[in-house]
Parts: sequence; C-alpha cells; structure tokens
Amino acid sequence: MQWPEEVVADSASGRLQTQSMVLNVGPQHPATHGVFRLLATIDGEVLVDAEPVIGYMHRGYEKLVEARDYRQITNLVSRMDWLSGISNELPMWMAVEKLMDIEVPPRAQYMRVILVEMNRILNHLMFFASFGAELGAITPTFYAFREREDIQYVMESATGGRMHFGFMRCGGLKEDVPRGFFEGALKAVRQVIARLDQYEDLLIGNEIFKERTVGIGVLDREAVHSYGVTGPIARASDVDMDVRRDEPYLVYDRFDFDIHTGMHGDCFDRFWVLVHEVVESARIVEQAIEDIPSGPVLGKVPRVIQPPAGEVYVRTENPLGELGFYLISDGDRRPYRMKIRTPSYNNVSVLPHVLKNTFVADMIAILGSFFFVLGDIDR
Amino acid sequence: MTIDERPVETASAGTGREHPAYSSTRYPEKLRIERKMTFGIGLFKGMAVTLKHLFKHNTVIQYPEVKQDLSPRTRGVIALKEENCTVCMLCARECPDWCIYIDSHKETLPPKRAGGRPRKRNVLDRFAIDYALCMYCGICVEVCPYDALFWSREFEYAEFDIRELTHEKEKLSDWMASVLPPPSLEQGAELPGQAAAPIAAGGAGPGSAQRPAPPAAVTAAAERPEQAAKATATATAAAPAPSAASPSQTQAGETAAPDSVARATEEKVETHTGDALAGAVTDAGPSGPDAAVSPTEAAGTGAAVAKDDAVTSEPGVGASTSESGPAGGLEPLSGTSAVSSTQPGVDVAKYQENPGPNVEVPHEEPRPRALEPTEDADAVYSEVLQGQLEKGSSPQVAEARAKVAKVKAQRGIKRGPTPVYTPNLVPSAPTQGHEDPSVPSGAPEATPPEPDPGPVASTAQEPAAGAAPPASRASQPDPPEAETAGAEASSGGAASSPDSPAPEDPEAAYERVLAEERAKGSSDPVAMGRAKAARVRAQKAKGSA
Amino acid sequence: MSGLTLATIVPDIHFTAWEILAVKLVVVLVTVPVVSLIGGYVLHKELAHLQQRLGPMYPGGFHGWGQTLADGIKFIFKEDIIPLTADKWVFSLAPALIYVPAIMLYLVIPMDRNLIVENLDVGVFYLLAIGSIATIGVLMAGWSSANKYSLLGALRAAAQLIAYELPIVLMVAVVAMLAGTLSILGIVEKQSWPFILWPPGIGLVAFLVFFTGAMAEMTLPPFDMPVAESEIITGPFTEYTGMRFIFGFFGAEMAHMVAFAGIITTLFLGGFMPIVPWHPLTYIPGIIWFLAKTSFMVFLMIWIRFTFPRLREDQLQQFAWKFLIPVSLVNILAAGAWVLYAPSWLWK
Repeated sequence: MQWPEEVVADSASGRLQTQSMVLNVGPQHPATHGVFRLLATIDGEVLVDAEPVIGYMHRGYEKLVEARDYRQITNLVSRMDWLSGISNELPMWMAVEKLMDIEVPPRAQYMRVILVEMNRILNHLMFFASFGAELGAITPTFYAFREREDIQYVMESATGGRMHFGFMRCGGLKEDVPRGFFEGALKAVRQVIARLDQYEDLLIGNEIFKERTVGIGVLDREAVHSYGVTGPIARASDVDMDVRRDEPYLVYDRFDFDIHTGMHGDCFDRFWVLVHEVVESARIVEQAIEDIPSGPVLGKVPRVIQPPAGEVYVRTENPLGELGFYLISDGDRRPYRMKIRTPSYNNVSVLPHVLKNTFVADMIAILGSFFFVLGDIDR
Repeated sequence: MTIDERPVETASAGTGREHPAYSSTRYPEKLRIERKMTFGIGLFKGMAVTLKHLFKHNTVIQYPEVKQDLSPRTRGVIALKEENCTVCMLCARECPDWCIYIDSHKETLPPKRAGGRPRKRNVLDRFAIDYALCMYCGICVEVCPYDALFWSREFEYAEFDIRELTHEKEKLSDWMASVLPPPSLEQGAELPGQAAAPIAAGGAGPGSAQRPAPPAAVTAAAERPEQAAKATATATAAAPAPSAASPSQTQAGETAAPDSVARATEEKVETHTGDALAGAVTDAGPSGPDAAVSPTEAAGTGAAVAKDDAVTSEPGVGASTSESGPAGGLEPLSGTSAVSSTQPGVDVAKYQENPGPNVEVPHEEPRPRALEPTEDADAVYSEVLQGQLEKGSSPQVAEARAKVAKVKAQRGIKRGPTPVYTPNLVPSAPTQGHEDPSVPSGAPEATPPEPDPGPVASTAQEPAAGAAPPASRASQPDPPEAETAGAEASSGGAASSPDSPAPEDPEAAYERVLAEERAKGSSDPVAMGRAKAARVRAQKAKGSA
Repeated sequence: MSGLTLATIVPDIHFTAWEILAVKLVVVLVTVPVVSLIGGYVLHKELAHLQQRLGPMYPGGFHGWGQTLADGIKFIFKEDIIPLTADKWVFSLAPALIYVPAIMLYLVIPMDRNLIVENLDVGVFYLLAIGSIATIGVLMAGWSSANKYSLLGALRAAAQLIAYELPIVLMVAVVAMLAGTLSILGIVEKQSWPFILWPPGIGLVAFLVFFTGAMAEMTLPPFDMPVAESEIITGPFTEYTGMRFIFGFFGAEMAHMVAFAGIITTLFLGGFMPIVPWHPLTYIPGIIWFLAKTSFMVFLMIWIRFTFPRLREDQLQQFAWKFLIPVSLVNILAAGAWVLYAPSWLWK
C-alpha cells in the first residue's frame, strides 16, 4: 500500500501538478452513522488531510443531569449511546451505589451481566452489519438485523423497551424478568452464535472483503495509548485491555471468557475482534444464566436516592470501549456534576491520525471500522 | 410470529463454552489464517450462504396483517385509570419531560355523619400526556402510588397533527382496555413475603417448571382471599357501578379467607364470565361491615388489596368504607406487595387463564423487594395497640390497626414514610394543578395541615409536625424517617423546609448555609449560591409569617 | 436485411419500409421499459429473498407485482430539480445519453430465429460501439452537476468503463473467431454446443471474463464504485431527481442489466438454441430458451451483486489490467490455436 503516499509525495514535490479540494463528508452522509462531519482535503482520490467535526447533535446531557434526579438520569444516559442503552445505565447506577454504599443482590448482579452482555451482542451485530453495508455488501446487514430482532424481542419482554431499556435502578433492577426470559435469551444468543458462520463466509472469508480491509487504516499501539482509544479498536491494535477482566465489576470475575486481541490494528482485525467478542458475550450470557442465584433483584435502598456528598469514578466496559462516570454529589437528589467519559469520543479523536494518506474509499472502510455512535460523542 | 415459533439453528459443533473454534485465549493462528488471501473460494462460500437463504422461510412479519405478540411490559402507551387518580401530582412532578398536565379543583362534600365536618377532596379536571414530548421512561407509572397509570402495549397512535398527540384523560382511559396483566416472573425470582426456593445447581435449566413451594400454610391461606378479592375487583370494575361494589369487595376478600383453595380459584375463574360480582356480594353479605376488623390472619392482606378497590369508591358511599379505615391506613406499597406475594402456582394459572387484551383491571406489577421480618411482630402488635388506645381510637379500630402492623411486621414490610392512603379521600394535594408555583405541589407525604378529624387524621397528627407539613403517615408513626421524607417531598418548597420551622433571620440563614456548604467542601460559587438561596427563602418565609 | 418478423408471422399484410420502421420503433420503445419494470421487480424480489425478506407485497395485489410501476409513476410526478450552478443543457441531456444506448442494445439481440429487430452483418461491432456510449453520458452527468461527489463518481466511471471495455472486446473477438462471423444471428446458429461448454476451457474463460467485464461496465457490485452509495452517494446521479434520475440511473441500470444478460446468452449460451443438441429439446420454442437463459443470467447478476462487497477503484484497475487482460490475450491465442489446429471432428 505505498501508492497513496507516492501520489502525495509526487504532488508535494511538484512532480505532479495537482490541486487539492475540500470534500465535506457529512453531516448528512450514509457512512457517518449520524450527523458527523469529516472535512476531508482530497487530492484526486487520496485524502491529504481529514478533520472530524462533531457537535451537530450536542444535547448537553452533562448539564441536563444536574437538574434531574437519578432515576430520571437513567433514561437520559441510555440515550447517549443509543445502541447500548443498558450498558450506559449500568455505570451510572454503579457510581451512585458506590457513593451510597449500597449492596446489590447477587441475582441482580447476574441479571445485569446478562442484560449488558446481550446489549453488547446487539451493538456488535449492528456494527458489523453496518460495516458490511459500507463496503457495499448490504445482505449481511439484513442478517444481522434478523438476529438483533430476536435479541431485542427477548430484552423487550423483560424491560419493555427495545433500545432505551431504562431497566436499572439503584441497588438492582426495576423488577425481575418475566418467565421465559432465560429460555428466550439462551435461544436468541445461541442463534446468533450458530449463525456467525454466515457472517464469516459472507465477509471475513470473502476475498474482496480482505482486499478492502487487510492493511487498511492501521492504528498503531502508540496512537492507541496517546489518544486514549479503548474497546475493540484498541484490542485490535494488540492492546490487551478490558475493564471486565482487568478491574472486574459486577460478577465478571466469576465467568470464563476470553479477551480477543488483533495483531495489526487494521480494519480487518477490528472487524475480526468484533465478531469474536460476540462469541465471548454469548458465553458469558450462557454461564450467567446457568449460575444465576435466586433471590431479590433490588437491594435495600432508601426511598429517596440521595447519595452523600463526595465523588466517585466508575468505569465499565461499554461495547465500544471504556465508559466512565465521574460523579460528584453534594448530598442532593441531583448530581452536582456528572462527567461522562465516553469511548466514542476518543475513538473519533484518533481518526485524523489514521485517515491521513488513504483513499476516499478506504476512508469509508475506516469510518465503518472505527465504531462510534454519534450520540455518545455529542452527549 | 414470536421468537419461540421460529426454528432454531444450532451450531453443528456446540455453542458458547464448547464451541471448538473459539477455545483459546488469543488467536494469532486463527487470525493469521483468516487474514491470508485465498483465491475465489471465499466468494463461492458467500454465494452459497445467500443462495441458501433464498430458499429459507422469510423472517419478516407482515405488519398490518400480522402483529407481533409484544410483551405485556412493552412501553407502548400509558393508560389512565381515572377513578384511581387522587391528583397527587407525583407523576407530573417526577416526569423528566414535564409532559403530564393535571388540573383539578377542590370539592366540598357534606359530612358523612351528623355533626361531622364537611370534607374536601380533589377532583380531576384534566389529565393529559403529551406524547410528542414523552420519552417513554415509565417513571410516572412507577411512582403512581394509587395504581392509576399503566403501560399498554398499543403503539399505533400516530397522528397527522402534533397537537393530537396530547391525549386527554378520556383517550388515556380508553387505553385501559388494552392493558395486560403483568407476566409471571422468571424462575428464581423472589416474591415479596417469601424467600425464593433455591434453584438446583446446574441441573435446573431455565424453563423447567420448578417453582418455590409456599413457605407456610398460613401465608398461603392469607393469600387466597386476596386472589379472590382481586378477581372480584376485575369483575366490579367492569360493572357500571364500581363504587357500590367496593365495600363488598372488601368483604369478599375476608370472607373468602377461611375458604378452601378450590373456592378461591373458582371465583377467580368466574370472574371472566362476569358472574363473580353477584357471587361475591352474596358471600359478603353475612360478614357485614365489621369484616375489616375480622380477626383472621388474612385481614391485613385482604384489606390491603381492598384498598385498591376502595379507591374507586365515592367518598360518601357508606359506613362500611369508612369502617375499613385501618385497611385504608395501610401504605399503598403493602397493597402492591400483597398482590405480588400470591402463591406462585396460583399466580401462573391465573395469568394463563387470562382472557387477553380485554382485561379491565390490571394488577399492579409485582415489585420484588428485599423483605424480611423487620421487627418482632408481637411487640409491634402490642406497641401499636397501646399507641392507638392512648390516642383515643376505638378498641376495634385500635385492634385492627395493631393487627395490620403485626402482619406487616411478619411480612417484613418496613414501616416508613410511605404515602398513606386516606380512605375517605381527604384532599391530599394542596395545589390545583400547575397554577400556583409558590406552593410545593403535594406529594402524599406532604399533605398540608388539614384540620380534618377523619379516621386517619388522628393518626397523622404528630406533635413534631408543627409548621412543617404534617405528613399523613402510615398507621405506625415513625417520626424521624417521616420527617426526612416530608422534607424530601418539599425540597423545592419554600418556607416549609423542616430545617427552619420558625422563620429565620435571612442574614443568619445566609451565614449558616455558607458555613455548612464550606464545611461540606462545596466550591465557593456553589456555597455562595446556596447561601443566597437560603437567604431568599428565609426572607420569603419571614414575609409570609 | 432479413429477419423481418411481422412479415413472416402475418404474411398477407405487406408493409412499406416506413411502416415497418414505425412498427419496429414501437416494439422497441414498449419492450425496453417493460423489460426494465420486470427486471426491477425481479431485482426487488430476489434481493429480498436472498436476505430472508419478502420484498414488495402490496402494490398491484399479487406479491406486489406493481411495485416498479408505482415507483416509476412516482418518479415521473416528482419535481425535476436542476441545481443552480449546474450546466443545464448538459445536465438535462445526460440521462438521455445513458438511456438511449441501452435501448439501442436491444435492436440486435435475437430472441428467436426470426425474432430480431435488425439483423446486422456487423452486429457484434454495433454492440460494442453502442455499449460504450453510456460512459459519455455518465461523464456528462457527473461533470455538469457541480457536485464534488458527482465529479469523483464520473471520473471513476470513466476510468472503469475504459478499463473494462478492453477485456469485453477481446472476448467478443474470441467468439467471433470461433463462430467465424460477426453477425449475431450467425454466432447463435454456430452454437449447436454453446460456446460456454465447447470448445472446452476457451469458451468458459471467455464467458467468465466477459461476465466480469459486463458487471463492471454496468457498474454493478462488486464493481459499483462510480455509484457507491455509501461512499459517494450514487456518484454522478447525486443531484438528479424524478424522471431524469430514473432514466439516468435506475431505468438505465435495469435496461443494461437485461440487455447484457441477453448479449451473454447470445454470445456464450447459444441464444435461442437448446442448451445441448438433443433432438427432443428443439421442440421447445427458441424464445423460451432465450428467455430462460436470459432470466438465469439476470438472476446470477443479482445474486452476485448483493453478495459481495465492493472493490476499490485502484484494485479494480489492477484486476482489469493485471489479470483480466492478460487472461484475455492468452485466451485469444488459445482460440486462434483451436480454430487453426483443432481436428474437425472436435467441432461438433
């Protein structure tokens, strides 16, 4: 892959008289998953420079939450990263529980793991569906949505929502899951695993897919560390980190699961890690359902959620990376300040670094493989 | 088509833990192989996948003709049971989007017995939800202490005009017809009042029909009547005159108590034919109004459920309602937990027999909560009895209240500052809608001092109440907690802050709050801001005093 | 100038040359849009079923047969927007320049021995010449739209169509060598065994290369870089709406697809001849053979189209210049050797 660089070098040295132009990719563009804008300076088909512009969807959540009590915040934060609503609710409540010193009953902890991991599968399915679509293969998209529908159906039967679940409460869950949930969850999750072969045949094993992804958009380890990239993207660059394993929260230390890392940090590895994480999530769900204890799903909590003054930082492994809630309470029913560290923001920050001297077509592949949700960036 | 009907494709070589393809921690080898460029094989594999799907059955649901069977928990639209609404404004206050509009006015009703005082109650004029603003979080349904709001799974109410999306109470009440009863809970779920039976490790896969056994015969017996009462309630709500039926429901609950299991179930089945009402009333006949104080074990539970139904009754209905005062004195949560504490086997059967989308009265969703006997039941009994007698309650009333307290203690329902249900509908909301911002909108905890010596008022009049809004309490006073709750409820309020019972000098307040904030470690601007707010509050309080 | 169909079917009526021309025009002008509509419907349905969906089910009643018709009517009634800074004349003419050649392709495709609009002696040349005109239309559309995405798409299209013209021409040359004629009817009649089966290898390679080239020339995935909707949002047609969009893009795409399926059928699959020279099969009318083969080719194109991801422009060029063209050249040599040295009993 030298020749984008060659073109750029030729152009810079004056051997080739070219004129660069600025291409506005977005805010409305099918490959940007929302209102994300990429100011691309292109020289022919080669991107000389790229500058992500964000903020088209800023909703001021960090300020909004200061005027709402914690239960209301649950439903706000689930709208940050709308693909993984319940994964956003979790750290928020974990922060409150930590501050209030509330013990979550074991059943609730297991249940949280199940829901969060199912949500991770949902999220990953969405991303590898959209990745295929961006590369021009629209059929895997529909297969992924078929699986998503099954999981969403099960989750809806428990939580009442399909995307914004709003199911977590301080000290546990809103209520126990309905009868048949475990069975349905196992069925849906196993279905996904059984059908993963289809994705492997359609995308991973496909020569055109390999042409388009292997060696494209290489993100080196140094960039991962300096930009604070986390999640599957970091793992694809051989950065072996996962909050679930390194700093176990909930009951993650009781499960047997693996952290997959790539070796090259290119689009292919990112996609590959994503697919394999689905398998791990499915394994966790299976184990959790097997081992789940009986008991209440809501701990002993005061009627009014009013954490004492103090501050706390809680981090969890969101499907897209590390999600942190830095909560400062002044003893009120509302947070004094809630700083949210979202993975998408860092994942997008590193884009200019990766996008330099690539083709326009590769830009789309790279955008698709840098998993981000716009709502997560512009909280 | 539901998910259950779809065929499952299982991976040929096992899934999850056993899947051979995913069995080592790091996969450089697998990754290396998969990265390697192959020549043409992958293309044909992909084509085989799509070709296979060409001959598979499709997965789509032809929506308008075929509808997906959505879960009863689906948050589709919010239904309003208008009779249950007491205009407590909790939903409107808790709504994150402020999309619930409530208007009400006060009505003065004639005294229910000669020489009594006229009573006031809030009448709901307007209850509207703007679905253009609603974010479907369900907090209003969750906080409603009187079971007036329910989720329905209907979702087809798109409109051409955004103004049409504001559903007034008539439309919201229409949705009630589509409300489903909550689903039974998953295996291993703890139902209040009993510990869940442990799941056999490993062997008991989900879906096995194992259910926890009822812990004690007494509990089981206590729970039957309430089943019956519930069932009757279903029938009566369908009947044109719910108010008249209400007392008999109460009694039906208690009379059924000693009856056999079969009897209870029978009544429940009859419910669907609508005949149960008559049966229940006949049954209730001999028991008379003093059923509420009948010394059966079931009294607490039955009465707690009766509360739900009593709400529907008109305030001036008759003596029997007021006689069941102690039952009304129960905190609403006990009602809900009593419902959910039904014996699981019966529970399941009941929901399975359910006629479907046309159930009139949905049951409160079970709210599993950690329960264990909080206090010694007998001690509570005697303590409450003593307290009631000292207060001057009649012996029967005192005994009933004490019993209720005992049952609650046994079931581990914490005595706390939960909102109280006042059986004769003492006005519980101090405001009339949104018009008056200076007065804190009334949570049930924060009922303003109403000099109304109703059956509950005697309980509610606490010496500590003072200038603070004397919360009408649960039948067992628990001053410190109640105090906090009251304060909490009126946190937005001005002079009613329990911290400053007497109007404080504004400057002094300023200094005090500033010092407090600094001590707490707040930053200077915040501390100043809070202190200023305190000063303004104090000034206002002074002005009003 | 033989092969006038109506005269043979209805021998009593004698037309003047002008009348014949008029009839031919009407036939072609009706056939092509109808074929586009049917092709579009097949596309919808096959795509849907490949993805475990149902596709259109309502318009027209039975399994949504009227979907493409309804779509077409909708597009006709949509507002025709010409961007302010666009070059209006070029912008307006471009769709015509794309669609008219697509119609003209149908003129020389024989559906049966006598069912051909115009049997040219140099039919193959005509096909190749007409097939390349659309490129100019695409370039015009992209350039005149005053849109950066359109420009990128137009340049991609130009580069791509030029690169793939070469293997197509070479493979047609192979066919012409094997058949010994440039007349399309002659080529078909020469295929008692279709060229894809016989001569072994040569015909198959020629077919595969031609098929790939045709996919690229029609800008179908995996070679749809000029219109890649997730990259450069349908490229040259970004600014088009309504009628112009459907004639420039959708309609032309469908017309091209069916036309190329017909051409491939004619050149490699034996056209209206039975698939193997077995006597009972000749009782099946030629038009049925032709339609069946063409439908299969359309099915194959759609199947491939929605299974594969898209290549990158430079990869496509590499594929064309470094792989397909060398293979084509070798294949021409092989074909020449076959024609010169193959013993005559191998010919039948």
